[in-house]
Amino acid sequence: MWENFAAGSLALFSDPFTIAIFVFGVMGGMLFGAIPGVSMLTLAAILLPFTASLTPAQGVMLFAVIYCTGTYGGAITAILFNIPGAPENAPTAFDGYPMTRQGKSGKAVGAAVLCSAIGGVASALVMMAATEPLANWAIRNIGPPEIFALVFFGLAVASSVGGRSIWKGWMSVLLGLIIATIGQDPVGGINRYNFGFTDLAAGIAFVPAILGFFAVSEIFVQAEKKATGKFDAPKVGMSFPSFLEIWAHRIAVVRSILVGFFCGILPGIGATLAAFMGYGEAVRWSRDKEAYGKGKLEGVISSETANNAATGAAMIPLLALGLPGGALTAMMVAVFQMHDLEPGPLVFYNSPELIWIVFAAMFYANLSILFIGLVETKTILYLLKIPFQFLAPMILLLATIGSYIGRGLVLDVIVMFGAGIVGFLLRRSGYSIPGIVLGIILGKIGEQNFAQGMQMVHYDLFTYFSRPICLILIVAGSLTLLAGIYKAVGSSRSTASQ
Amino acid sequence: MKNYIGLSVLAGLLVLASGTAGAFECKVKAATMAKPDGFPSRALTMIVPYGPAGGSGQVAAAMAEAVTGHTDVAINRDHKPGGSGTVGMTAYMAAPADGYNVLEHIDDASSAHALDSTRPNPAADLIPLVVSQVTFSQVYIRSNETRYTDWPSFVEWVKAQGGKATIANVSKEGSMERVTMKFITDATGMEIQQISFDKGAPRYGALLGGQVDALFEQPGDVRKFLDAGNFKPILTIFNERPGVFADVPTHKEMGMDFEPLLRFRGFYVHKDAPADRVKWLQWAFQRGYCQDSYQAFNESKFMNVIDSYRDTAGAIDLINASVVQYREVYKSMGMDVK
Repeated sequence: MWENFAAGSLALFSDPFTIAIFVFGVMGGMLFGAIPGVSMLTLAAILLPFTASLTPAQGVMLFAVIYCTGTYGGAITAILFNIPGAPENAPTAFDGYPMTRQGKSGKAVGAAVLCSAIGGVASALVMMAATEPLANWAIRNIGPPEIFALVFFGLAVASSVGGRSIWKGWMSVLLGLIIATIGQDPVGGINRYNFGFTDLAAGIAFVPAILGFFAVSEIFVQAEKKATGKFDAPKVGMSFPSFLEIWAHRIAVVRSILVGFFCGILPGIGATLAAFMGYGEAVRWSRDKEAYGKGKLEGVISSETANNAATGAAMIPLLALGLPGGALTAMMVAVFQMHDLEPGPLVFYNSPELIWIVFAAMFYANLSILFIGLVETKTILYLLKIPFQFLAPMILLLATIGSYIGRGLVLDVIVMFGAGIVGFLLRRSGYSIPGIVLGIILGKIGEQNFAQGMQMVHYDLFTYFSRPICLILIVAGSLTLLAGIYKAVGSSRSTASQ
Repeated sequence: MKNYIGLSVLAGLLVLASGTAGAFECKVKAATMAKPDGFPSRALTMIVPYGPAGGSGQVAAAMAEAVTGHTDVAINRDHKPGGSGTVGMTAYMAAPADGYNVLEHIDDASSAHALDSTRPNPAADLIPLVVSQVTFSQVYIRSNETRYTDWPSFVEWVKAQGGKATIANVSKEGSMERVTMKFITDATGMEIQQISFDKGAPRYGALLGGQVDALFEQPGDVRKFLDAGNFKPILTIFNERPGVFADVPTHKEMGMDFEPLLRFRGFYVHKDAPADRVKWLQWAFQRGYCQDSYQAFNESKFMNVIDSYRDTAGAIDLINASVVQYREVYKSMGMDVK
């Protein structure tokens, strides 16, 4: 492995043009990842035709690098302005933005930079060591029933995040799950809750919903404070997390690497589920669950480690089997095909040099996150000094463009403002915005896999329990649910008796 | 089966011009065409009702590149995925019918109109510029499968499972896949559970990993798995054996007497667009089909195995025949045809 890695590194850094492409990918991914509305996918779509004039290794390497740095880029705006650059950065905002409001933006951004790099590098190393066996294990053992069980397991802790009580947390998650059912059902294509509007048949897109619930509702909240004289501008916190602070969360980092890697390796799943599951597991194993969603450093660490850990993992089914894990890896298939290549087992035999340049580039791209991230962070934090009356319209404008640009539908802009208003009202009542977003995203993934799984088990739900991974995840999720309900009932009785 | 056999005459149009492809010869001889009153003086917009990474997104990109390559007219692709193509179609019908807006769509538009006639008819409400991909479907198994190795042994094995066998496809209500599977199950008397995967990767991964027993797909979409020796076709749903699949029996050879439904992708303009602009667009897109870059793309997708080209008249025949066939099948399936 190390010889191949050295050869890939040499090939990467011995040609000035290849180095230039690498640097362009690193910077471009970070930039497009950080701007709400546009994303690494936008950049990839723009660049796709130009990859025809690159060598196959340069083309695939460029996309792999964009994937690594683009996944990290959205964390910055999530932390500073409550605007996740992409759905996989949404859990980062759960605690990152409250930390900014508390004057701890430097710690949050620093942790995001460091943990993105750690997650990405660890993932790249495992990818280099065991691509083929891992890919084969995943497709043989993980099917729709297991993915549904995984989502159920993740949702079981969602009620703990951000709500004033566990009941309000559950109501928030249920609202998200209901929103996720809008649009065509995932297996039969039957329209649901579209009320005759064609555009609603496509469902509620993640990006406008996230921008509305997070960014727009936050502007309403701050505007209200401004109008009532209670506005308190976020303080610019320049202190980075110390080594000891990160070391104290080493278990969370390792856990998120494992969770992120597991989610990333599943074809068609990718970094979004990884981030939400990484965050959910942090909550599950914490003794201080109620602190999540209110500015807990471990929330940022878990989410950012997990989503970057999914990047290397998502390359595994792509390279070993030709199965892309998400939209960007699907575009990589097009890059391969432009050069008369097909990702899959034969690439390892026919083009090993290409594989190792890509592996090496992903490793160094994740390291670049660390160095460039730490250098740029000090500058970026000064954006917080922009007065609210200038910042708020800029955020609204960016969010509006970001909502519209994905599908070119006015519906998405309406959804964004609607989510903003609903989010504003629900926050005042103590409901959980992270819970709603968790419900929407995990609901869509979960429902699709549940429906497919039910077809596979011939609509016999008990067959789920004959699959060991399913059984473990469903039992663990159920126990978490019961423990949460027991705790909530106990808390309600104790309040009543006082 | 009687209902389906009765459709043969109507559906014959589908297959009339869809024999195995011969050597490529461009049907549009004129290499240039004067722009009518300077049209187009700016970039065209191509609405694509699916995402950029799937089959429709790729064919849209390849055709846009080909048309731009020989006309110097830029084409901006506007992807509007969702609702099985209805979101993009609705957006297109609301766009100005000035010739600057064109639409990419697949046979789903025809089947949607067949089920609900209030939906746009691609042969009447739109003018097909060119259909540039026509392909057939096949049933695949893993190459290392030992429980069955060919179609007869597969049917025998499926019957022995008592409805527990599974096949992965895109079995949306009324889709080409679901209708064809009904043809197959009715003809063979086998009962098989269809698992609907809307994305390719999980669908192919399900067969590779043994989560399902077979896969219903078009050959171009699984070419890499065929080239790598992962998948093996055991049934071709087409009236004759295409040359590259000469050792794979057709459904008719296996005793299934129905006319195959074809998957096709094409490009359209609104029927109210000015006639002279439509003519120029027809030339530009039909000539685009002939470009080396587009031909290479089609070859990479197994889209040169049968004749993939239909000009406007050929496309209208293809669409009309499809609509009639779908409508009759839907009625026979007891679906609510509007």
